[in-house]
Amino acid sequence: MSVITAAGPAAVDGALRAGRRRRTTRAALVIGGLAAVAAGLFVVTMMVGSFALTAVEVVGSLLGLRDDPSVDFIVLGLRLPTATAALAVGLALGASGTIFQQLLRNPLASPDFVGITSGAGLAAVSGIVFLQVGGIVISGFALGGALLAAVLMYALAWRGGVSGYRFILIGIGVLVFFDGLIGYVISRAQLTEARQAMHWLTGSIGQAGPDELRLLLGALVVMLPLAVLLQRQLRALELGDDAAAALGSRTELSRAGLLATAVVLVALAVAVAGPLLFVAFVAGPVADRLLGPATGGILAAALVGASLLLTADLAAVHLMPTPLPTGVVTGAVGAPYLLWLLATTNRRGAGG
Amino acid sequence: MRVWRSVLAVAALGVALAGCGAEAPSSGGAAPEASGPWSFTSGSGEVVTAERVPTRIIAHAGEAAALMSFGIRPVGIYADEAVTTDPNLKDLDLSGIEILGEEWGKIDVEKAASLRPDLIVGDWWPAEKAYSGLEEGVDEKSKKLAELAPVVGVSQGKSIVELAEGYEDLAESLGAKVDDPRIAANKQRFEESVARFKEAVAAKPGLTVLAMSPADDMVYVANPEYAPELLDLQSWGLQVINPDSPDPGFPYWENLSWENADKYQPDLILWDGRSFTPTANAEWGAKQPTWFQISAAGAGAVAAWPAYWLHTYGHFATELDKLSEAVTAANADIGT
Amino acid sequence: MKTTSTRTARRASALGPGLVVLGAVLALVAFLSITQGSRSIGLGEVLAALGSMHGDGTITSTVTLDLRVPRTLLGVLVGAALGVAGAVLQGVTRNPLADAGIMGVNAGAAAFVVLAVTVLGVRGVGVSVWFAFAGAIVAIVLVYAVASMGREGATPVKLALAGAAATAGFGSVTTGIVMTNIDALNELRFWQVGSLAGRYAPVLLGVAPFLVVALVVALGFGRALNGLALGEDTARGLGLRVARTRAAAFVVVAVLAGAATAACGPIVFVGLVVPHVARFLCGPDYRWVLPYSMLLGPVVLLLADVLGRVAGAPGELQVGVVLGVLGAPAFIGIVRRGRLSEV
Repeated sequence: MSVITAAGPAAVDGALRAGRRRRTTRAALVIGGLAAVAAGLFVVTMMVGSFALTAVEVVGSLLGLRDDPSVDFIVLGLRLPTATAALAVGLALGASGTIFQQLLRNPLASPDFVGITSGAGLAAVSGIVFLQVGGIVISGFALGGALLAAVLMYALAWRGGVSGYRFILIGIGVLVFFDGLIGYVISRAQLTEARQAMHWLTGSIGQAGPDELRLLLGALVVMLPLAVLLQRQLRALELGDDAAAALGSRTELSRAGLLATAVVLVALAVAVAGPLLFVAFVAGPVADRLLGPATGGILAAALVGASLLLTADLAAVHLMPTPLPTGVVTGAVGAPYLLWLLATTNRRGAGG
Repeated sequence: MRVWRSVLAVAALGVALAGCGAEAPSSGGAAPEASGPWSFTSGSGEVVTAERVPTRIIAHAGEAAALMSFGIRPVGIYADEAVTTDPNLKDLDLSGIEILGEEWGKIDVEKAASLRPDLIVGDWWPAEKAYSGLEEGVDEKSKKLAELAPVVGVSQGKSIVELAEGYEDLAESLGAKVDDPRIAANKQRFEESVARFKEAVAAKPGLTVLAMSPADDMVYVANPEYAPELLDLQSWGLQVINPDSPDPGFPYWENLSWENADKYQPDLILWDGRSFTPTANAEWGAKQPTWFQISAAGAGAVAAWPAYWLHTYGHFATELDKLSEAVTAANADIGT
Repeated sequence: MKTTSTRTARRASALGPGLVVLGAVLALVAFLSITQGSRSIGLGEVLAALGSMHGDGTITSTVTLDLRVPRTLLGVLVGAALGVAGAVLQGVTRNPLADAGIMGVNAGAAAFVVLAVTVLGVRGVGVSVWFAFAGAIVAIVLVYAVASMGREGATPVKLALAGAAATAGFGSVTTGIVMTNIDALNELRFWQVGSLAGRYAPVLLGVAPFLVVALVVALGFGRALNGLALGEDTARGLGLRVARTRAAAFVVVAVLAGAATAACGPIVFVGLVVPHVARFLCGPDYRWVLPYSMLLGPVVLLLADVLGRVAGAPGELQVGVVLGVLGAPAFIGIVRRGRLSEV
């Protein structure tokens, strides 16, 4: 970027246009491909279960093209809500993860590692246990918890920016702290039913009610396009960064708006699926690798998140001898990945 | 499409065959006749009606055991633990019955749908206003079970006897011949057991018992108010001690620290059946310095308490006989 | 700089007597822990039981000698271990939020306990303690090994991240097993919330040798930690073998935190908060921070435990819950004091 701004205006224009065209084509291809993968997994999720259905049956039932009550009950009544939850939670986590990572300019600063996810989880489970709230109020609690955690992090870690690793250190401190409190809340509540407790300890798809899910879907419809627009605006502003010091307040505004959409998305996702780890963390980097030079695509990261979560849910529910919470699979796969990442980055001497 | 149809056909066939087995004489021979309009007043107060008497029933664990004791065999069962360890189910012949769940909150509704049930049976929990398996906190998918067929159940409340009677009524409405000698035998055995139990209790005036569940960091004392079988025992004259300060957040128990383990001094300890073993008393005495400070524990006066699971006359009779023995063997002067 | 050093010099003369005062406070708190509890026992009876030193079979002597004395001694040892482990960890990682929990100790212990229950059929605290111990040590060693790959060694961020990853990984294993095995769930319940209750002489005697040895060794780390606090390059310039010091420190922390977790379950905040209080009292010199932490740890732990016993009577609140409630404001306080700018 500094190279571009240092060159003459005409050269900037030409280089920008060519570069943008190349990037746009690749981005379109990648997003199209990812959308196809996510859609495919979405359908596959609804094909497997106690009774195998064909893709034709699933799609036909979804589109209302055929009239078979028993297939309709299984597809629309039983499998669609769970599949939709996995899709929506994955989209939300992927998008918010990459927004956090970009805005904080730190690949480690995804909401699950800076305490936002566990803050939302802690608030939600406290509401359920102490105030017996249910339905959409759970989402409200999760949102409040996520916002509080975000403000707390901001207040604790902001020293003229969040570059460096102080942020992630504090984030992990906050994460451990919140997780400990979640454990205490659960133990105080005699929440002895293992499933319910595990939902709030590790996260699982398919336990939340329809209200939380509907709210998340509504938020996605509004927030995803909004996030893409805000990001575009932010980039335009940042391209002329030096010249546009006067525009500083507008940059800050876009940044704050973008961060707010990310916090809302992750909070509503936690209300549906509990504090799932690693999806938000890896979605952005995976998308960036696919996108090549056109990094930072929020849509691409969201689709990667959805694909990852649909795959994890398929594995958790259908590949294991006993169906497990989805968070077990994301944790079991994500943890070694993070350790490997740490080990290999270190070897190259580039680690924090 | 073809795949699905054939799967459904096979499943239906299997169930039909299983159904034949179910109505074999050994289980009571009460082949219900599917006729006439049917209605039942559920524990929720709702009157559930159907054009025909339901025959394809899916039931929760203990409720299924209750129906089966009257010769009504469900086509599917969902339990909260493995059917091989569930005290209601472990001794029953479940061949031909689909097991739809062996974990709380998880019911395979897809499989349940393929059974084409016309009735779901689960206890009604008045405090939670929900039927067993459909409570708050279970998988959202599991709750869809209620969409397959009407749900009925007897209200969980103050008495196992009332619960058993409720399921007797339900079974009768479903076509069970409850007066059939082979079926009525259980109830008769139960009534004899109650008579014997009352006799045993009357022979020990002043005998007090306490229902307890020792754990690693605490001793739990059961509050009979929330344990219907203990209320039944009280109604038959047994002095089951009511703890004076149950946990306000979870009034099923009073929590005693091990320092205060000797707070109550009963003559006989009813030990939570879920953790009771013949050697448990000696083990806890060795492990917890204050356990034997309860005189009854020190004297080995302990008996299993069938905690929170009873549904049938037969099971209650068996457990009562054991309790009668323990009462007869107990010494009313151990405690204070 | 100058003011700081003169202040330190001035305070140094008061540090020795301060340690003695702290020791007296600890003795007082320990006495409190033996005389106060969910059962009210008269002071005379307690003293009589203590004086006879062997039980006479009455409930008061059983509670005093068999319950409260071992519990108090365990509280002293575990509190000291957690306080010192926290101080060493914060010094060696230069991370003011470092805590054994962040290194994955609790998650490792829990995972090993459920594995032992399912694979080996182990039952009961007495036996599973050893698996918790092993799991805690494996977790710390794994986290440290992964984080220290590469030339620059184990930086705070890598340690914290590796700890978070290990916690998530072990947590997944634990959950996966617990979901399929009810016995494992029952055994795990004991390790979910930290508590001093129900741990008697066998548990105390099992972990005491490890804790005592590791505590003595840890006290010798003061000078090395002071060197590290100046930054790695400076420390190297002073002739300190940074990598070797770190490795040794981690072994000590692993033993301390592992044994503490094995005995009492996850007890948070003591390791996090105590070193900060110690630094507040005695300044940044680790030669003093370590002994101060060793005495402050048990004071905090025993006070919380007594509070839980008295407030929860006739039952009791687990010390982990009490610390969770009290620790939240302390945590915020530490972070707000701005010490984090040191990172």
